[in-house]
Amino acid sequence: MRAAQDGDNAAYAALLSEILPVLRRTVSYKWPSAPDTEDVVQEILLSVHTVRHTFDPARPFMPWLMTIATRRMIDAARRRTARSSNETTVDIMPETFSGDAAKNEQEISDDQDAIRRALAQLPDGQREAVELMKVQGLSLQEASAATGKSVASLKVSVHRALKAMRDMLKRES
Amino acid sequence: MKSEELARRLAASARPVQRLPHPIWRAMMWFVFSLAYAGALVLVMGLRTDFSARIAEPRFVIELSAAVLTSMMAAAAAFCSTCPGRPIWERLAPFPFLLVWLASLGEGCWRDWSLHGLPGLAVQPELSCFWKIVISSAPPAILILLMVRRGAPIAPYLTTGLATLAAASLVAAAMLLFHRQESSIMVLIWQFGSVIVLSGFTAFFGRQILGWRTIDIPSLE
Repeated sequence: MRAAQDGDNAAYAALLSEILPVLRRTVSYKWPSAPDTEDVVQEILLSVHTVRHTFDPARPFMPWLMTIATRRMIDAARRRTARSSNETTVDIMPETFSGDAAKNEQEISDDQDAIRRALAQLPDGQREAVELMKVQGLSLQEASAATGKSVASLKVSVHRALKAMRDMLKRES
Repeated sequence: MKSEELARRLAASARPVQRLPHPIWRAMMWFVFSLAYAGALVLVMGLRTDFSARIAEPRFVIELSAAVLTSMMAAAAAFCSTCPGRPIWERLAPFPFLLVWLASLGEGCWRDWSLHGLPGLAVQPELSCFWKIVISSAPPAILILLMVRRGAPIAPYLTTGLATLAAASLVAAAMLLFHRQESSIMVLIWQFGSVIVLSGFTAFFGRQILGWRTIDIPSLE
Protein backbone atom coordinates (compact mmCIF):
# COMPACT_ATOMS: atom_id res chain seq x y z
CA MET A 1 0.00 0.00 0.00
CA ARG A 2 2.93 2.31 0.70
CA ALA A 3 4.05 1.86 -2.94
CA ALA A 4 0.48 2.35 -4.14
CA GLN A 5 0.25 5.62 -2.23
CA ASP A 6 3.40 6.75 -3.97
CA GLY A 7 1.86 6.04 -7.38
CA ASP A 8 3.13 2.53 -8.16
CA ASN A 9 0.18 1.23 -10.21
CA ALA A 10 1.58 -2.27 -10.61
CA ALA A 11 2.00 -2.67 -6.86
CA TYR A 12 -1.50 -1.32 -6.34
CA ALA A 13 -2.95 -3.76 -8.90
CA ALA A 14 -1.17 -6.63 -7.16
CA LEU A 15 -2.46 -5.49 -3.76
CA LEU A 16 -6.06 -5.15 -4.95
CA SER A 17 -6.04 -8.54 -6.63
CA GLU A 18 -4.58 -10.06 -3.46
CA ILE A 19 -7.17 -8.54 -1.16
CA LEU A 20 -10.13 -9.48 -3.39
CA PRO A 21 -10.37 -13.12 -2.20
CA VAL A 22 -9.81 -11.96 1.38
CA LEU A 23 -12.69 -9.50 1.07
CA ARG A 24 -14.95 -12.14 -0.52
CA ARG A 25 -14.22 -14.55 2.34
CA THR A 26 -14.77 -11.84 4.95
CA VAL A 27 -18.11 -10.74 3.50
CA SER A 28 -19.30 -14.33 3.12
CA TYR A 29 -18.27 -15.13 6.69
CA LYS A 30 -19.56 -11.99 8.41
CA TRP A 31 -22.69 -11.56 6.31
CA PRO A 32 -23.65 -15.00 5.01
CA SER A 33 -27.09 -13.81 3.91
CA ALA A 34 -25.73 -10.91 1.86
CA PRO A 35 -27.93 -10.60 -1.25
CA ASP A 36 -24.96 -9.97 -3.49
CA THR A 37 -21.51 -10.52 -2.04
CA GLU A 38 -19.80 -9.11 -5.12
CA ASP A 39 -21.66 -5.78 -4.79
CA VAL A 40 -20.47 -5.43 -1.20
CA VAL A 41 -16.92 -6.44 -2.15
CA GLN A 42 -16.88 -3.83 -4.91
CA GLU A 43 -18.16 -1.18 -2.53
CA ILE A 44 -15.32 -2.02 -0.14
CA LEU A 45 -12.81 -1.85 -3.01
CA LEU A 46 -14.06 1.61 -4.00
CA SER A 47 -13.88 2.78 -0.37
CA VAL A 48 -10.34 1.45 0.01
CA HIS A 49 -9.42 3.35 -3.15
CA THR A 50 -10.98 6.66 -2.01
CA VAL A 51 -9.38 6.62 1.46
CA ARG A 52 -6.03 5.02 0.59
CA HIS A 53 -4.33 8.25 1.72
CA THR A 54 -5.45 7.49 5.32
CA PHE A 55 -3.23 4.41 5.54
CA ASP A 56 -0.26 4.98 7.82
CA PRO A 57 2.71 2.84 6.64
CA ALA A 58 3.91 2.72 10.25
CA ARG A 59 0.82 0.70 11.17
CA PRO A 60 -0.29 -2.77 10.01
CA PHE A 61 -2.36 -3.02 6.84
CA MET A 62 -4.93 -5.69 7.73
CA PRO A 63 -6.62 -3.83 10.66
CA TRP A 64 -6.90 -0.80 8.35
CA LEU A 65 -8.51 -2.89 5.60
CA MET A 66 -10.80 -4.83 7.92
CA THR A 67 -12.09 -1.65 9.59
CA ILE A 68 -13.13 -0.29 6.20
CA ALA A 69 -14.61 -3.65 5.16
CA THR A 70 -16.64 -3.98 8.36
CA ARG A 71 -17.86 -0.40 8.14
CA ARG A 72 -18.98 -0.80 4.52
CA MET A 73 -20.72 -4.08 5.32
CA ILE A 74 -22.64 -2.37 8.12
CA ASP A 75 -23.58 0.47 5.77
CA ALA A 76 -24.76 -1.98 3.11
CA ALA A 77 -26.78 -3.97 5.66
CA ARG A 78 -28.35 -0.78 7.00
CA ARG A 79 -29.28 0.37 3.50
CA ARG A 80 -30.79 -3.01 2.75
CA THR A 81 -32.83 -2.95 5.98
CA ALA A 82 -34.06 0.56 5.23
CA ARG A 83 -35.07 -0.44 1.71
CA SER A 84 -36.76 -3.67 2.72
CA SER A 85 -38.78 -1.90 5.43
CA ASN A 86 -40.55 0.00 2.63
CA GLU A 87 -41.16 -3.09 0.51
CA THR A 88 -43.74 -5.87 0.81
CA THR A 89 -43.10 -9.23 -0.76
CA VAL A 90 -46.17 -10.64 -2.51
CA ASP A 91 -46.74 -13.72 -4.63
CA ILE A 92 -49.39 -12.14 -6.86
CA MET A 93 -49.42 -8.47 -7.69
CA PRO A 94 -52.71 -6.95 -6.51
CA GLU A 95 -54.94 -5.37 -9.19
CA THR A 96 -54.72 -1.64 -9.03
CA PHE A 97 -57.54 -0.95 -11.48
CA SER A 98 -60.59 -2.76 -12.84
CA GLY A 99 -60.76 -2.77 -16.59
CA ASP A 100 -63.88 -3.51 -18.59
CA ALA A 101 -62.58 -6.99 -19.18
CA ALA A 102 -62.93 -7.68 -15.48
CA LYS A 103 -66.61 -6.78 -15.56
CA ASN A 104 -69.14 -9.44 -16.28
CA GLU A 105 -72.06 -8.96 -18.61
CA GLN A 106 -74.51 -8.53 -15.74
CA GLU A 107 -72.54 -5.58 -14.37
CA ILE A 108 -72.37 -3.92 -17.79
CA SER A 109 -76.11 -4.36 -18.22
CA ASP A 110 -76.73 -2.95 -14.71
CA ASP A 111 -74.60 0.10 -15.53
CA GLN A 112 -76.48 0.75 -18.77
CA ASP A 113 -79.86 0.49 -17.03
CA ALA A 114 -78.75 2.97 -14.35
CA ILE A 115 -77.56 5.44 -17.01
CA ARG A 116 -80.86 5.12 -18.90
CA ARG A 117 -82.83 5.79 -15.72
CA ALA A 118 -80.67 8.82 -14.89
CA LEU A 119 -81.06 10.14 -18.43
CA ALA A 120 -84.83 9.78 -18.26
CA GLN A 121 -84.97 11.94 -15.14
CA LEU A 122 -83.20 14.90 -16.77
CA PRO A 123 -85.15 17.99 -17.93
CA ASP A 124 -86.05 17.84 -21.64
CA GLY A 125 -83.45 20.38 -22.83
CA GLN A 126 -80.58 18.67 -21.00
CA ARG A 127 -81.70 15.17 -22.07
CA GLU A 128 -81.88 16.26 -25.69
CA ALA A 129 -78.38 17.77 -25.55
CA VAL A 130 -76.90 14.59 -24.04
CA GLU A 131 -78.71 12.30 -26.48
CA LEU A 132 -77.48 14.31 -29.47
CA MET A 133 -73.86 14.85 -28.37
CA LYS A 134 -73.00 11.88 -26.13
CA VAL A 135 -75.26 9.14 -27.49
CA GLN A 136 -75.50 10.04 -31.20
CA GLY A 137 -72.05 11.65 -31.22
CA LEU A 138 -72.94 14.97 -32.95
CA SER A 139 -70.53 17.86 -32.68
CA LEU A 140 -71.50 21.09 -30.89
CA GLN A 141 -72.12 22.83 -34.24
CA GLU A 142 -74.25 19.94 -35.58
CA ALA A 143 -76.26 19.78 -32.36
CA SER A 144 -76.70 23.56 -32.51
CA ALA A 145 -78.01 23.32 -36.07
CA ALA A 146 -80.33 20.44 -35.12
CA THR A 147 -81.84 22.08 -32.05
CA GLY A 148 -81.56 25.76 -32.97
CA LYS A 149 -79.82 26.46 -29.64
CA SER A 150 -76.54 28.34 -29.36
CA VAL A 151 -73.24 26.46 -28.87
CA ALA A 152 -72.74 28.09 -25.45
CA SER A 153 -76.19 27.08 -24.30
CA LEU A 154 -75.61 23.47 -25.42
CA LYS A 155 -72.28 23.37 -23.56
CA VAL A 156 -73.98 24.51 -20.36
CA SER A 157 -76.82 22.00 -20.84
CA VAL A 158 -74.43 19.08 -21.33
CA HIS A 159 -72.31 20.13 -18.36
CA ARG A 160 -75.34 20.38 -16.06
CA ALA A 161 -76.81 17.15 -17.39
CA LEU A 162 -73.63 15.16 -16.77
CA LYS A 163 -73.29 16.60 -13.26
CA ALA A 164 -76.91 15.73 -12.45
CA MET A 165 -76.51 12.19 -13.86
CA ARG A 166 -73.32 11.68 -11.86
CA ASP A 167 -75.13 12.69 -8.67
CA MET A 168 -78.03 10.38 -9.48
CA LEU A 169 -75.76 7.42 -10.13
CA LYS A 170 -73.86 8.10 -6.90
CA ARG A 171 -77.11 8.16 -4.93
CA GLU A 172 -78.23 4.96 -6.59
CA SER A 173 -75.01 3.09 -5.86
CA MET B 1 -18.61 -5.28 -14.01
CA LYS B 2 -16.58 -8.02 -12.37
CA SER B 3 -14.65 -7.18 -9.20
CA GLU B 4 -11.36 -8.15 -10.89
CA GLU B 5 -12.09 -5.68 -13.69
CA LEU B 6 -12.94 -2.98 -11.15
CA ALA B 7 -9.70 -3.64 -9.26
CA ARG B 8 -7.76 -3.45 -12.52
CA ARG B 9 -9.37 -0.14 -13.50
CA LEU B 10 -8.85 1.35 -10.02
CA ALA B 11 -5.19 0.38 -10.05
CA ALA B 12 -4.67 1.68 -13.59
CA SER B 13 -6.22 5.07 -12.86
CA ALA B 14 -4.63 5.55 -9.41
CA ARG B 15 -2.56 8.68 -8.93
CA PRO B 16 -0.03 9.23 -6.13
CA VAL B 17 -1.74 10.46 -2.97
CA GLN B 18 -0.51 12.64 -0.16
CA ARG B 19 -0.58 10.64 3.07
CA LEU B 20 -2.68 12.09 5.83
CA PRO B 21 -0.41 13.46 8.60
CA HIS B 22 -0.55 11.73 11.97
CA PRO B 23 -3.87 12.47 13.74
CA ILE B 24 -2.11 13.97 16.75
CA TRP B 25 -0.23 16.37 14.49
CA ARG B 26 -3.48 17.38 12.78
CA ALA B 27 -5.17 17.83 16.15
CA MET B 28 -2.30 20.07 17.27
CA MET B 29 -2.62 22.15 14.09
CA TRP B 30 -6.31 22.66 14.72
CA PHE B 31 -5.77 23.37 18.40
CA VAL B 32 -3.17 26.07 17.75
CA PHE B 33 -5.49 27.87 15.31
CA SER B 34 -8.48 27.51 17.58
CA LEU B 35 -6.56 28.57 20.66
CA ALA B 36 -5.53 31.74 18.84
CA TYR B 37 -9.19 32.31 17.96
CA ALA B 38 -10.28 31.71 21.58
CA GLY B 39 -7.54 34.08 22.77
CA ALA B 40 -8.79 36.74 20.38
CA LEU B 41 -12.31 36.16 21.66
CA VAL B 42 -11.18 36.75 25.25
CA LEU B 43 -9.24 39.86 24.19
CA VAL B 44 -12.26 41.30 22.40
CA MET B 45 -14.69 40.52 25.20
CA GLY B 46 -12.29 41.46 28.00
CA LEU B 47 -11.40 39.41 31.07
CA ARG B 48 -14.14 38.99 33.66
CA THR B 49 -13.97 41.50 36.49
CA ASP B 50 -13.34 38.86 39.18
CA PHE B 51 -10.70 37.01 37.14
CA SER B 52 -7.77 37.63 39.54
CA ALA B 53 -9.81 36.30 42.45
CA ARG B 54 -11.15 33.28 40.55
CA ILE B 55 -7.80 32.19 39.09
CA ALA B 56 -6.49 31.81 42.64
CA GLU B 57 -9.17 29.19 43.34
CA PRO B 58 -7.97 25.62 42.63
CA ARG B 59 -11.50 24.57 41.62
CA PHE B 60 -11.65 27.25 38.92
CA VAL B 61 -8.22 26.23 37.62
CA ILE B 62 -9.31 22.58 37.52
CA GLU B 63 -12.53 23.54 35.73
CA LEU B 64 -10.67 25.64 33.17
CA SER B 65 -7.95 23.02 32.62
CA ALA B 66 -10.49 20.22 32.30
CA ALA B 67 -12.41 22.19 29.65
CA VAL B 68 -9.23 22.92 27.67
CA LEU B 69 -8.00 19.32 27.97
CA THR B 70 -11.42 18.01 26.94
CA SER B 71 -11.13 20.15 23.84
CA MET B 72 -7.61 18.92 23.05
CA MET B 73 -8.44 15.29 23.61
CA ALA B 74 -11.74 15.49 21.73
CA ALA B 75 -9.92 16.96 18.73
CA ALA B 76 -7.28 14.22 18.87
CA ALA B 77 -10.00 11.58 19.23
CA ALA B 78 -11.97 13.04 16.30
CA PHE B 79 -8.92 12.88 14.03
CA CYS B 80 -8.01 9.37 15.25
CA SER B 81 -11.56 8.19 14.55
CA THR B 82 -11.11 8.99 10.85
CA CYS B 83 -8.07 6.73 10.54
CA PRO B 84 -9.11 3.09 10.04
CA GLY B 85 -7.37 0.48 12.16
CA ARG B 86 -6.49 2.71 15.09
CA PRO B 87 -7.31 1.48 18.61
CA ILE B 88 -10.81 2.17 19.91
CA TRP B 89 -9.56 3.56 23.25
CA GLU B 90 -8.26 6.66 21.46
CA ARG B 91 -11.84 7.69 20.76
CA LEU B 92 -12.61 7.60 24.47
CA ALA B 93 -9.68 9.87 25.43
CA PRO B 94 -11.71 13.07 26.06
CA PHE B 95 -14.25 11.46 28.38
CA PRO B 96 -12.09 11.28 31.55
CA PHE B 97 -11.43 15.02 31.20
CA LEU B 98 -15.08 15.65 30.51
CA LEU B 99 -15.86 13.79 33.73
CA VAL B 100 -13.29 15.86 35.65
CA TRP B 101 -14.92 19.02 34.26
CA LEU B 102 -18.36 17.73 35.28
CA ALA B 103 -17.04 16.71 38.71
CA SER B 104 -15.51 20.14 39.34
CA LEU B 105 -18.83 21.76 38.45
CA GLY B 106 -20.64 19.24 40.66
CA GLU B 107 -18.30 20.08 43.51
CA GLY B 108 -19.06 23.78 42.97
CA CYS B 109 -22.78 23.07 43.08
CA TRP B 110 -22.29 21.10 46.30
CA ARG B 111 -20.34 23.98 47.82
CA ASP B 112 -22.98 26.54 46.78
CA TRP B 113 -25.66 24.35 48.32
CA SER B 114 -23.68 23.99 51.57
CA LEU B 115 -23.13 27.75 51.82
CA HIS B 116 -26.47 29.12 50.65
CA GLY B 117 -28.86 26.19 50.83
CA LEU B 118 -31.44 25.75 48.09
CA PRO B 119 -31.14 29.37 46.81
CA GLY B 120 -27.51 28.52 45.94
CA LEU B 121 -28.86 26.11 43.32
CA ALA B 122 -31.36 28.56 41.82
CA VAL B 123 -31.30 28.48 38.01
CA GLN B 124 -31.97 31.65 36.06
CA PRO B 125 -32.96 31.41 32.42
CA GLU B 126 -29.92 32.48 30.42
CA LEU B 127 -30.46 31.17 26.93
CA SER B 128 -28.07 33.79 25.56
CA CYS B 129 -25.25 31.65 26.97
CA PHE B 130 -26.28 28.80 24.71
CA TRP B 131 -26.41 31.00 21.63
CA LYS B 132 -23.06 32.60 22.53
CA ILE B 133 -21.49 29.14 22.62
CA VAL B 134 -23.20 28.12 19.37
CA ILE B 135 -22.09 31.25 17.48
CA SER B 136 -18.60 31.43 18.96
CA SER B 137 -17.99 27.70 18.37
CA ALA B 138 -18.91 27.95 14.70
CA PRO B 139 -15.45 28.96 13.29
CA PRO B 140 -13.39 26.29 15.11
CA ALA B 141 -16.15 23.73 14.54
CA ILE B 142 -16.25 24.41 10.80
CA LEU B 143 -12.46 24.23 10.65
CA ILE B 144 -12.24 20.88 12.42
CA LEU B 145 -15.14 19.43 10.41
CA LEU B 146 -13.42 20.43 7.18
CA MET B 147 -10.21 18.84 8.46
CA VAL B 148 -11.81 15.56 9.56
CA ARG B 149 -13.57 15.27 6.20
CA ARG B 150 -10.17 14.42 4.70
CA GLY B 151 -10.17 11.18 6.69
CA ALA B 152 -12.26 8.05 6.31
CA PRO B 153 -15.84 8.31 7.62
CA ILE B 154 -15.72 5.02 9.51
CA ALA B 155 -17.55 6.42 12.56
CA PRO B 156 -19.36 9.51 11.23
CA TYR B 157 -21.62 10.15 14.22
CA LEU B 158 -18.82 9.82 16.77
CA THR B 159 -16.36 11.86 14.70
CA THR B 160 -18.83 14.72 14.23
CA GLY B 161 -19.80 14.67 17.91
CA LEU B 162 -16.16 14.66 19.06
CA ALA B 163 -15.23 17.43 16.61
CA THR B 164 -18.05 19.63 17.90
CA LEU B 165 -17.17 18.76 21.49
CA ALA B 166 -13.61 19.95 20.81
CA ALA B 167 -14.78 23.30 19.41
CA ALA B 168 -17.56 23.90 21.95
CA SER B 169 -15.51 22.99 25.02
CA LEU B 170 -12.68 25.31 23.92
CA VAL B 171 -15.18 28.16 23.55
CA ALA B 172 -16.73 27.24 26.92
CA ALA B 173 -13.24 27.43 28.46
CA ALA B 174 -12.79 30.87 26.90
CA MET B 175 -16.18 31.90 28.26
CA LEU B 176 -15.00 31.02 31.75
CA LEU B 177 -12.46 33.81 31.30
CA PHE B 178 -14.75 36.56 30.04
CA HIS B 179 -18.30 35.61 31.01
CA ARG B 180 -19.14 35.95 34.68
CA GLN B 181 -21.52 33.36 36.09
CA GLU B 182 -22.74 33.70 39.67
CA SER B 183 -23.09 30.02 40.52
CA SER B 184 -21.73 26.64 39.46
CA ILE B 185 -25.22 25.37 38.65
CA MET B 186 -25.54 28.13 36.05
CA VAL B 187 -22.20 27.14 34.50
CA LEU B 188 -23.23 23.50 34.66
CA ILE B 189 -26.52 24.05 32.88
CA TRP B 190 -25.83 26.92 30.50
CA GLN B 191 -22.20 26.28 29.58
CA PHE B 192 -21.46 22.60 30.14
CA GLY B 193 -25.02 21.73 29.15
CA SER B 194 -24.78 23.76 25.96
CA VAL B 195 -21.54 21.98 25.02
CA ILE B 196 -23.14 18.56 25.48
CA VAL B 197 -26.38 19.49 23.69
CA LEU B 198 -24.51 21.05 20.79
CA SER B 199 -22.17 18.04 20.42
CA GLY B 200 -25.07 15.60 20.56
CA PHE B 201 -27.12 17.61 18.10
CA THR B 202 -24.29 17.86 15.57
CA ALA B 203 -23.44 14.18 15.98
CA PHE B 204 -26.97 13.42 14.84
CA PHE B 205 -26.04 14.79 11.39
CA GLY B 206 -22.79 12.83 11.21
CA ARG B 207 -23.76 10.83 8.16
CA GLN B 208 -24.76 13.98 6.26
CA ILE B 209 -21.57 15.83 7.22
CA LEU B 210 -19.14 12.94 6.70
CA GLY B 211 -19.83 10.63 3.80
CA TRP B 212 -17.83 8.27 1.62
CA ARG B 213 -16.53 9.87 -1.52
CA THR B 214 -17.93 8.48 -4.73
CA ILE B 215 -16.05 7.59 -7.89
CA ASP B 216 -17.33 7.91 -11.41
CA ILE B 217 -16.60 4.34 -12.46
CA PRO B 218 -17.18 4.75 -16.23
CA SER B 219 -14.56 7.50 -16.24
CA LEU B 220 -11.93 5.06 -14.96
CA GLU B 221 -9.58 4.09 -17.77
